[in-house]
Amino acid sequence: MSDQTIAAGERAVTRSRTRPEANRDENLLEVEDLSVSFVRRGAQPVRAVDGVSFVVRPGQIVGIVGESGSGKSVTSLAVMGLLPQRGVVASGQIRYRGQDLLTLGAKKLSDLRGREIAMVFQDPMSSLNPVIPIGTQVTEVLLRHFDVSRGEARAEAEHLLRRVGIPDPGRRLKEYPHQLSGGMRQRALIAIALACKPALLICDEPTTALDVTIQAQVLELLKELVNDLDTAMVMITHDLGVVAGLCDFVNVMYAGRVVESAPRHELFAHPRHRYTEGLLASMPRLDHPRTEPLRPIRGTPRDIVSWTKACAFAPRCDHADEACMSPDLELVLDGPGEHRMRCVHPAPLASDVADDD
Amino acid sequence: MTEGADKVAGEPAKLLEVTGLEVHFPIRRGVVIDRTVGHVRAVDGVDLSVGRGQTFGLVGESGCGKSTLGRAILRLEQPTAGRVVFDGQDVASLKAEPLRRLRRRMQMVFQDPLSSLNPRQSVESLLTEPLRVHGLSAEDLQTYGKDSARAHAAKAAAMLEVVGLPGSSMSRYPHEFSGGQRQRVGIARAIVLNPDLVIADEPVSALDVSVQAQVINLLEDLQKLLGLTYLVIAHDLAVVRHISDTVGVMYLGRLAEVASSDDLYERPLHPYTIALMSAIPIPDPEIEDARERILLPGDLPSPANPPSGCRFHTRCPFRQPTRCHDEEPELREIPDLAAGRQVACHWASEIASGAVGVAEPELLVEPTSS
Repeated sequence: MSDQTIAAGERAVTRSRTRPEANRDENLLEVEDLSVSFVRRGAQPVRAVDGVSFVVRPGQIVGIVGESGSGKSVTSLAVMGLLPQRGVVASGQIRYRGQDLLTLGAKKLSDLRGREIAMVFQDPMSSLNPVIPIGTQVTEVLLRHFDVSRGEARAEAEHLLRRVGIPDPGRRLKEYPHQLSGGMRQRALIAIALACKPALLICDEPTTALDVTIQAQVLELLKELVNDLDTAMVMITHDLGVVAGLCDFVNVMYAGRVVESAPRHELFAHPRHRYTEGLLASMPRLDHPRTEPLRPIRGTPRDIVSWTKACAFAPRCDHADEACMSPDLELVLDGPGEHRMRCVHPAPLASDVADDD
Repeated sequence: MTEGADKVAGEPAKLLEVTGLEVHFPIRRGVVIDRTVGHVRAVDGVDLSVGRGQTFGLVGESGCGKSTLGRAILRLEQPTAGRVVFDGQDVASLKAEPLRRLRRRMQMVFQDPLSSLNPRQSVESLLTEPLRVHGLSAEDLQTYGKDSARAHAAKAAAMLEVVGLPGSSMSRYPHEFSGGQRQRVGIARAIVLNPDLVIADEPVSALDVSVQAQVINLLEDLQKLLGLTYLVIAHDLAVVRHISDTVGVMYLGRLAEVASSDDLYERPLHPYTIALMSAIPIPDPEIEDARERILLPGDLPSPANPPSGCRFHTRCPFRQPTRCHDEEPELREIPDLAAGRQVACHWASEIASGAVGVAEPELLVEPTSS
């Protein structure tokens, strides 16, 4: 395909874009007191997300870190409006440019989804449709949201695949997901998510299934695209390393609640919550001496108590005592740059104390 | 290839010696006439040796053949060529019965304990099964008396304690445990026969971050307690570095570099190792912002049709116009550059001295100093 057709396709897409201009001081996304419970008849409801609040400003990258079962993925599904219709009780507010997504009608939500808010999933093999060519899956979203012809959409799709670094995009458009390698599939998924130049991109573990060198490619690509398109991003991951290099602001989740949130430099320099501190101490690190012993967090992420009774991390915490048994600990402001944490016995600041072991 | 040339006779410290090991899988086509149209060269000429009581870490990305290599050493995969000498015996050519007897000394820990443990067997049954097959080891016979079901159960209970699981776990089933506990059962099963060599294939990658350290520490404690020799296969370089004495970096069926853990991480010599190392995210924003990254273009080539010359030359950021594409580099020691470590790159000395740099500047990600 010639450059002219690509340019034409791009023009068509640009022409049909009508989106309110981003006001940089305004919050793009405000999640406030979001709770999601899964209910089943005859069983106790499971509260997967419990009073989570965070904001995303235009162009900002916000990280949500947590282990399996911490509620990070459910949070992202709630923002996308992708939670199952039945058996789920969601409360609180998810305001996107002032509109509450939780109460928005299905029609309006699907106008927004893909166009304004897009998502990149963890496993591209199960989120791409295996029996539809890549090209159709990319043009689908363009045809749904923009008034473009098939030819224009196709030219734009080719342009998008080239943009995310897929070689020979014209041929790849006709191929099926199984014909692409893992990194390539993830790139295609990113191309689909970015097709409409969304204002907000939600990435749920986008690199977990990839090898490190491919992960580096994909992260670099995401960083670049977010920069070029001025897209805001919510990055959901369990990998503190990925967060350290990418995110502006980090929320650490444990058992459905945010236990600590801070700008990334502040968080890694002064982790205050004992869970964050424990995670950092338990990881083997390339920048530390090899002989340094690992200090694991005892127990497993399943050993939790309800936040309504005590600190959920108390059963695994070395510093837990009576004071930790009080219900519903507050997320308190502590330290510079909106550093907040939910801990009775926070880790001392490095300046306060010589090493405590 | 130096097959046979560097056969070291009578070096008692080495428990495992692998020479020129190759594992090729045939690619078959045709419904009526079954014909072989090619081979996937999963492992294509690997030499390595592991000293008794040492840990050898094998790193590489998916598809590089590291798991196949581990399986071929235990002969869970039949090697196409080469020798695997375990404590003086060539495993690759052993007959069925001697092999079975040797297997009690070489055990494996698998990645995903949920799929490697039979869900319908209780932990007691899982742990005593190897004993029912092989019987108690000589030293255990002295402790537990004769080979009886009761002695097996006692040994299993002892192992359970060693790996840090409560005694009540005996009657439970794999699904009743968390991931970390299940991996402990998998480890207990591997050590119940008092093996000499344990091959651990991605032992922690299926576990939560906070639990990984528990299992890594357990593996290290067991090594001290039982004098085990490990071959740890993993893709996570931080984990491998922590646990290993020597690290081998694999790329497309061959070793690119072998060095002591500290040397390798302090000063990687092979371009692939350099790029791999620069790609690992480090949980410290100060370091992340300050470091230079080398991005590798493209994906791993197909092991069915590996590139000519150096296998890495299609993606190598330091590629040179000569030698790289037509001459396969040997895994060799460069005494002037670094003694006691091996690297398979024609230009290792030049790259280390800075005479050869990254050819394409767009592959280099400069630090984001803000």
